[in-house]
Formats: sequence, C-alpha cells, structure tokens
Amino acid sequence: MVTIKSALVVADAGPLIHLDKLSALDVLSDYTAIFVPNAVWLEVFHHRPQALQASTVKLIRQLAPTPTAKVDALSAVYTLHHGEREALELCLNHSVNTLLSDDSAARLAAKSLNIATHGTIGLLVRAARQHLRAPAEILTLLELIPQQTTLHIRPTLLNEVIEQVKFEWKSNPTITLT
Amino acid sequence: MTCAIQAEIPDQLWQQAQTLVSQGWASNMDAVINESLRRYLESHQDVLAESFIKEDVEWGLNGNN
Repeated sequence: MVTIKSALVVADAGPLIHLDKLSALDVLSDYTAIFVPNAVWLEVFHHRPQALQASTVKLIRQLAPTPTAKVDALSAVYTLHHGEREALELCLNHSVNTLLSDDSAARLAAKSLNIATHGTIGLLVRAARQHLRAPAEILTLLELIPQQTTLHIRPTLLNEVIEQVKFEWKSNPTITLT
Repeated sequence: MTCAIQAEIPDQLWQQAQTLVSQGWASNMDAVINESLRRYLESHQDVLAESFIKEDVEWGLNGNN
C-alpha cells in the first residue's frame, strides 16, 4: 500500500523540463503532489513555462525554505545552484524522502542526506511499471530523448538502456511490448 | 606543477570563501579554489552521471514506489 508521504516528492528543474519536452509529464501523475521550490519554479518558467501548466500533475510552488547549516555546507561542497539547494531544504523541511533530479551533484548531495533521487529516465521506465504508459510508448520516448531534450546521455549508454529495458520487459509475462 | 588563473566571481561567493579561510576551514584562498574545482570535477564526472542513470533504470524496472 502506498502511503501519502511516500507519494510526495520534490522536483528539481531537469525532469520537469525534459519530461514536458517529451510530452510525458503525465508519468508523474500518480504522485499525490510534487513540491517545486521557488527557485526551481522560476528556472522552469524561464526555460519551459508550459511545463508549469500541465493539468495531469499536481505541482505545488513552495516559497524558499529556511536555509539549514547542513544544506549550506553541502551546497558549498557540491557547488549546488539555488534550485538544487532549495529542493534539498524542502525535502528536509517536509520530511520528503524523494527528490526528482538529473543533476549529478544534487544527487550526490541528496544521497548524503539519505534522500532518494530519481531522474528523467528512471521516471519514464517506472511509468510502465505503474501502468501510466504502455511499455512500447516508453521505448519510443527513450529513443526521442536526444532529439527532443537537452538531457545529456552518451548515445551508446542510451542504446544499452533501451536494450536492457526491452530485454527485461520481454522476459516479463505480465508486460506486452506491442 | 601549478598554474595561475584569473577569474571573475560574484562578491558574495568570494566573501563566503574568505569566511571559510578566516574560520580556519581552509588554509588560504588557493586551497579553497583548488578544493572547489577538484570537487566540482569529481561530482560531474561522466562515470558518476552514468551510474545514476543505471540506478534509475533498475529502480524504474524493479522499484517498489
């Protein structure tokens, strides 16, 4: 059973922008709410304002949280931007243990705070597991990442990911790929 | 071997770095810049980004949330 708390997440700008560019923000639709810190909101508004209008997801803009010494220190160590810093603060302030981010430094910092992080690719693959999208659609979206988003991923790694996902789903009798 | 660099950075960032030095967290500004650059490069290595993507795929396929 999914608890309300586990269904709350905090988002960094990357996944919101990339998923919207793929017309796939709906893969976040089963989260009860997605907290978006103010600095992230402004960043998304600057680069991809339409992502904030999505009707399929419940994005909740949050004022800048009170800075904590812990996150301040991590921000210095990992050279985090405002949005990433606010996202970590929000996670701590609201006891949210999941951060959506594609940024390696933010993910490292989150790890040291015991906050789980997931990025665009993981969220897409998860959408098939959660029956939010058909597996075949997800494979198409993964293939479109280089053309439609600015998510940095080595082409051979993306191919490996797609092949791995295809293999796993083909081996799973509950999943139909066609 | 070392090399000298010249860079423009925001006042606030510079002041924060100076505070670290004055509080004894770093021996001098060279050490702060050296360590910052090293940590930046470490945290942005492709291999790290790739390991996160692989973790993501595993979670996407077999996670429970």
